[in-house]
Amino acid sequence: MTGFVDLYTEGDTVLHRMDPRVKIFAVLMLTLLILMISSLVHLLILLAFIALLVALGRAPFSKVSLALRFVLRVMIMIVILWPIFDPSGTPVLATLGPVRITEPGVMRGITNAVRICCLATVWYVLMFTTPQRDLVRALVKLGVRFDFGLTLSIALRFLPTFSATVESIKDAQRARGMEFDKGSPLRRSRNYISVLIPTIISALRTADTLSLALQSRAYGARRHRTYLRELKMRASDGVALAVVVAAFVMPAVAKFFLKVPV
Amino acid sequence: MIPAADSRAADDKIISIHDLKFIYPGGVQALSGVSLDIRRGEYVAIVGGNGSGKTTLAKNIMGLLRPTSGTVLVNGTAVAGQRIASIAHIVGYAFQNPDHQLFCSTVWEEVRFGPQNLGYPADDMDARVEHALRSMDLMSVKARPPFSLTLSERRRVSIASVIAMDPEVLIFDEPTTGLDMRESEALMASIARLNSEGKTVILITHDMKLVAKHAKRVVVMSEGKVILDSDPAGVFSDLEVLLASKLMPPPVVRLAYRLSTRGVPRDVLSPEELVLRIMMARGDFR
Repeated sequence: MTGFVDLYTEGDTVLHRMDPRVKIFAVLMLTLLILMISSLVHLLILLAFIALLVALGRAPFSKVSLALRFVLRVMIMIVILWPIFDPSGTPVLATLGPVRITEPGVMRGITNAVRICCLATVWYVLMFTTPQRDLVRALVKLGVRFDFGLTLSIALRFLPTFSATVESIKDAQRARGMEFDKGSPLRRSRNYISVLIPTIISALRTADTLSLALQSRAYGARRHRTYLRELKMRASDGVALAVVVAAFVMPAVAKFFLKVPV
Repeated sequence: MIPAADSRAADDKIISIHDLKFIYPGGVQALSGVSLDIRRGEYVAIVGGNGSGKTTLAKNIMGLLRPTSGTVLVNGTAVAGQRIASIAHIVGYAFQNPDHQLFCSTVWEEVRFGPQNLGYPADDMDARVEHALRSMDLMSVKARPPFSLTLSERRRVSIASVIAMDPEVLIFDEPTTGLDMRESEALMASIARLNSEGKTVILITHDMKLVAKHAKRVVVMSEGKVILDSDPAGVFSDLEVLLASKLMPPPVVRLAYRLSTRGVPRDVLSPEELVLRIMMARGDFR
């Protein structure tokens, strides 16, 4: 019951209707853009744009906050640790024994924290608005072998199932007096053998049953597959593609050809 | 003398649940105000349709789930503040799926695992394990790997591993699922023997035939509430409540119902009893 949450939420927004291939491409472009930009102000503008995308995808607040809580933890770590390990530049703000904190170091820490936030959020937008089956379908259409696509979607499909199995196994062992958090670190990791083995065996049994079920429904009987749902690019997808390409190309040209700092 | 007797009567309650509510993290309310006392040595069946809250209730008794509100007392102490391992001294829980707990390389080691965790002395460990194996008729497979056994044997191993911890209360969650009739009758006979030896038995099931045959008290659950708490005959005579909780009385009870217009009483629990009642109704003993 606990642990695993599917980030996708059913909806009918512009982002939900977009061709998943375009979405994957757009996210990759935006990722490159985020990695290319080094100005904090520009990154913040980009973050505002991505926040707009989250709003456009109408992701429910509970899932957004769940996702952001994780990102926030990483961001705080970066802001604290970056200046300590990157003491280059002047002026020096503080000296604590061998540790030197400089203003550029602090700025770079903040910039990279915002960058991580941008990166995570842009991928979250994809997860919020695209069902797993559509992601797999897009990968297959882009040339990934169907077998791999199916394997991937089965793996994703069984994540929550296994998460529930692991919880149930842990309960069963707790009821037999097992205390997972007791003892030395070595002892503690050995405690988990009592969870690991039933989990592996349960996974193997499931895989066995699943392969029989696939075969009994004539999986792999024909080499050329037809699809119930074909992906089709629409005019709006073309527009989205153009916007994303422009958003990437313009700053790239500015940075690498015109030598304008972005 | 009288106060002593009184305190014994109070001690008699091995499990005492008061206004227990439980809401899962996802927001599903599984228990909405359950109050229930179980006395030492009782054989109680908890019945109800899927999703009625049976297993959630059992997990609250074991301390695997903690009440959203209300109290669960085991042997007079609140479960809330206790570690599961210390509750395990008093309550044993045999899970529905034995494969969710078996991991050792022999049956013997598997059964040893629980008492070892609870820190029972090493010198009587072997006797303890042997007793548990004998009570589940498993001595012949004690050296085999648990995973090579049949489902019926694996289930008995999982029960033996609970018995070896020697808890006063045994909770069985759907123990006969997937067993054939002979296996399930043998298992139920072993459970009945444990009860006659003094163990308190809580049987979670929706098999009404088992309930009619074995339970002395039936707690019917529906939508997170106890809707009926009576002896089997009393429960089966309340057809409306049973149907409301998605349950069907066993065939022999249903037959008695159909014959009630011909003068056969409704509170029949076994085929033998039904035959006797029909003969009485026909006047065979006059």
